[in-house]
Amino acid sequence: MRDAFSDTLVRLAKTDRSILLLTGDHGYALFDAFRRECPDQYINAGIAEQNMVGMAAGLARAGFRPFVYGLSAFIPIRVVEQIKLDVAHDDLPVIFIGDGAGFVYSHLGTSHQSTEDLACTRAIPGLAILSPADRHEVASAMQAAYDRKGPVYFRMGKADRGDVHPHPVDLPVGAPLPVRKGASGVSFLATGSMVSAANRLAENPAFDASVWSVPWIKPADADAIAAICESSRAVVVLEEHSIYGGLGSLVTEISCNCRAPKPVLRIGVADRFSDACGSYNYLLREHGLDDVTLEHSITDFLRGL
Amino acid sequence: MQDRSNSRFDPTRLRQTILEMAYAGSSGHIGCAFSIVEILAVLYRNHLNYPNNDPKHPNRDYLVLSKGHGVMAQYACMRELGWLSDADFQSYFADGSKLKGLSDSRIPGLEVTSGSLGHGFSVGVGLAKGAQLKGTRQKVFALVGDGELNEGTIWEGALFAAHHRLDNLLTIVDQNGLQAMGTTDEVLALGDVAAKFQSFGFDALTVDGHDEGAIDAALVELSNRSPGRPKALVARTVKGKGVPFMENNNIWHYTRLTEHTYQDALHALRTGDL
Repeated sequence: MRDAFSDTLVRLAKTDRSILLLTGDHGYALFDAFRRECPDQYINAGIAEQNMVGMAAGLARAGFRPFVYGLSAFIPIRVVEQIKLDVAHDDLPVIFIGDGAGFVYSHLGTSHQSTEDLACTRAIPGLAILSPADRHEVASAMQAAYDRKGPVYFRMGKADRGDVHPHPVDLPVGAPLPVRKGASGVSFLATGSMVSAANRLAENPAFDASVWSVPWIKPADADAIAAICESSRAVVVLEEHSIYGGLGSLVTEISCNCRAPKPVLRIGVADRFSDACGSYNYLLREHGLDDVTLEHSITDFLRGL
Repeated sequence: MQDRSNSRFDPTRLRQTILEMAYAGSSGHIGCAFSIVEILAVLYRNHLNYPNNDPKHPNRDYLVLSKGHGVMAQYACMRELGWLSDADFQSYFADGSKLKGLSDSRIPGLEVTSGSLGHGFSVGVGLAKGAQLKGTRQKVFALVGDGELNEGTIWEGALFAAHHRLDNLLTIVDQNGLQAMGTTDEVLALGDVAAKFQSFGFDALTVDGHDEGAIDAALVELSNRSPGRPKALVARTVKGKGVPFMENNNIWHYTRLTEHTYQDALHALRTGDL
C-alpha cells in the first residue's frame, strides 16, 4: 500500500512538474524514491505544520499542485483551521495526506493516534475525503485526488492488511465499491483498514454478508448508499475512527432519510482515548475492533433485530 | 494643511473613505485601518506592480494583508485603483454586501482570507517560495500587526523564509503598540521586534510608519541590499492616526461612529484640529 502510494506520487510528479511534496519532517523512508526522482519538487517544511499548510495555499495560488504530508494526528488535526481558511475557502488544489490514521502508532499513545480526523474534516465545505482500503484503492485514489483540482484529505491507515480487491479498481466519484456479494441480506460498509476485517467476517456462514468498501467519505453518492440500505435488512458500518462523525455517521445520515430505514450498527472507536499501549492488534482488541469482538458485536446486533 | 487631493492615494482622502465606509456600515476596526494608511499608500503608489491594473494578473506583486482587521484601508486604496465602486462603499455591511469586515480573498485585490491571525503571513511565504521556484521577479509584501506577532505561525514562516533565502518577501510590521485587550507590552511583550527578525536571518529596518518618504526610502533600501535575505520593515505607527480623539485609543478598535463622532472625525481630518 505504501509502495503504491510512493509509486503513484512519483509517477504523477514526473508527469506534472508543478506538483510539490511538502512534508513536516515526516516520511523518512517513504519518500526515498520521490527525493531521488523529483528532488526539486520536494520541500521539507520543518516541524511547523501550520505554516506548511499556509504555504501550500500560497504555492497553490502561484500555480503549483502541493501534496502536504504528515501523520494523520497532525495533518489534518493540528491544521484544521488552516485547511478551512487558507485552502478550502478558495477551493485550492491542495492534497493533504494524513498517514498512520487510526491506531497505527499503537505504542506511542494519544499524540500519534488519530480517530477524530474524519469528523473534523467532513464539515469543511468543499473538502473531498478519500480513505482507501488497499494498494489498488490507494493508486486510484491518488489519481482521483489529483484529478479533482480542489482540496482533498487523503486518509492512510494501517497499510499491511492485504488486498481487498483482486485487481486494480476505478473509483467513480462518491461511489461505494462492491467487494463481496452475500446472500443473507446483511450489508457491511467499511472504509480503510476495516474493509479487510469486514471481508473476513462476511465469510462467516452466520453472516454471509455483502461487503462494500467506501473510499469516498466525501463527496459520497447518497443515492448509492441509500440503495444499499434499502436493499438490505440490516447494515453494519465498520471504521477505525470515532463512531462520531465518520463513516457510521455518514451512513446513518443517509439511511434515516430512506422511506423504510433499516437498522444500522455503527462499529468504530467509542468516545474514548486508548488506555494502554501495545501491538496494533492489541489496540484493536482494546477498542473492540479485533475479529473476535467484532463477531460478537455483530452477532448480538443481528440477534436483537 | 497641504492640499494633496489630486495625488493618488492621498492619506487624508483614504482616511475619509474609511470613515465614510465605517459610518455607512456602522463597523468597527477604524483604528487599525488608520494605522496602515501611509504604508498602503506608499506600497500602491510606488512598489506594487499590477500589469494592466489587473488585480488578478498572474505576474502581479502580492500584497498580503495578514492583519485582516485593517481591510478598510485596503478597500480605500482599491477604490482609488478603480477596483471597487462607490456603490460597494455605500452598501458596506448591508445585507448581501460582498465586502466583509475582514480580508476575504474572493475579492480581487485581496490575496488572503485573514482576520484569524497568523494565516496570511504563511500564505505569503508560500507565494514568495512559488515565485522563487518559478524564477519570476514578483515580490510579496506581507503586512502583519504587532499583536499578530503573538502567533507562532509568524515565527515558523520566518524560519522558512530565511532558510529558503526568500529575498522577494518583504514583511511590514504595523507596530501600533495596541492589540485587542491592551498594549502589546501589557499583553505579551514583544521586545525588540527588528532585532527578533534580524536574529531569524532577516534584514530589518525601523521607520516612522506615517512618514511616506521614510517608508518609501526604507522599502527601496531593503529591496536593494542583502540579496538572499528576506526583509522586515518595522513601521512605528499610531492606532487611529489622523483623528486625534481616536489616536492611541483602543476603543476605536470596537466603537461604531455616531452622526456626531463621524462629523467630528471628518472635521479633524480636514483641518488637522484636535
